[in-house]
Amino acid sequence: MKGFQRFRRFQGFQAFVGFAVLAIAAPALAHHSAAGIDRSKTVTLAGTVKQFGWQNPHSWMEVDVPGDNGVVTTWKVEMTSPAFLIRAGWKASTVKPGDKVTVKVFPLRDGDPGGLFQSVTFADGSTLTERPAIARQP
Amino acid sequence: MKLITATSLAIVMAIAGVAAQAPTPELGVLAPSNLSKPRPAPPFTVTGTWFIDLQFPGSWQFGPPYPKLTADAQKHFDAAQKARAEGKVYRDDIGQCWPAGVPMIMTRVWSIAMVQLPTVVYMVSGFMNSLRIINMDGRPHTDPDLLVRTANGDSIGRWENDALVIDTVGFKGDHHWIASGIPASDALHIVERVKLVGPNGTKMQIEYTLTDPKSWEGEWKVTKQWNRVDARDMEIAEVECLPDLNSHIPSTQSKENVR
Repeated sequence: MKGFQRFRRFQGFQAFVGFAVLAIAAPALAHHSAAGIDRSKTVTLAGTVKQFGWQNPHSWMEVDVPGDNGVVTTWKVEMTSPAFLIRAGWKASTVKPGDKVTVKVFPLRDGDPGGLFQSVTFADGSTLTERPAIARQP
Repeated sequence: MKLITATSLAIVMAIAGVAAQAPTPELGVLAPSNLSKPRPAPPFTVTGTWFIDLQFPGSWQFGPPYPKLTADAQKHFDAAQKARAEGKVYRDDIGQCWPAGVPMIMTRVWSIAMVQLPTVVYMVSGFMNSLRIINMDGRPHTDPDLLVRTANGDSIGRWENDALVIDTVGFKGDHHWIASGIPASDALHIVERVKLVGPNGTKMQIEYTLTDPKSWEGEWKVTKQWNRVDARDMEIAEVECLPDLNSHIPSTQSKENVR
């Protein structure tokens, strides 16, 4: 039995290491190449959620961001799959249209208003990313 | 009356004759009488859920190193390298919902569900639910005149000592890449030697031998490793590349992508 418990702990450790590596290997998770994303820059979007797609292979979010001139720009934010978001503490109801949020993204290189999700901070100050918050238990 | 009897007899005999000449339909892999045929016990089963081992040398990518490419393939490779250096995406067909195809579908960072029966192995990738069918009932490859070419090809498998050997031909030959800038043609031929390794068969290794005289010279050998993942949250799910998906995924729409 102890041997079995050790094996289960080993499995749990493997899973944790695996997901840690996965967080680094994000481009491979995507159904597309991430070469068009500029990972050397971070853009912070303060705005209102327009839509949230809880969808495979990618979830996604649209955020309406008011500019200095009063013009609202809709940013398209691509995210990982729901399976990985669940491990990071997300649910389908985590984000709803109308929510006031601050979203950090790696922007597109071509300058269009879009990017790869890094984190979201909600009005209550709580923050979510795509990384598992804690090591998974077996 | 005699005429009617004679006519009826002739019809019955004709039908019987046709029936006698008709070939016996070949059994499908899931036919109970095919599944129950006596066969040697397989040395192992691949049934389970598997996930590419990102810590194994080479991780999920095929190359580098790369084989010596043909002139046509080299043009693609050089263009892909140039695009990469410029921060652009080269011919990202998977991003446009084209199937990844074998072998790349095996190493996408998604779980693969495998079900092994005596006559067939089914592999379903969590990535777009791409299906591989490996016929194990002793049939040869599909007649080239009947074959419908696909991204995952026409696979037959056999047991060789402690390995499952999968032979795959019949690839479609367009929008199919082994790695960025390395095209697969309709001449692609893949042999996979599948083995279980590690404690209690919790790891699976596949030694790939890739040949494609239209794209590279000689044999390209690559070994990949997968971990068995038993947790419920590692199961595959329904995943499709839907027509409206990319409208929400901005990097697939980038003006800088090299089509």
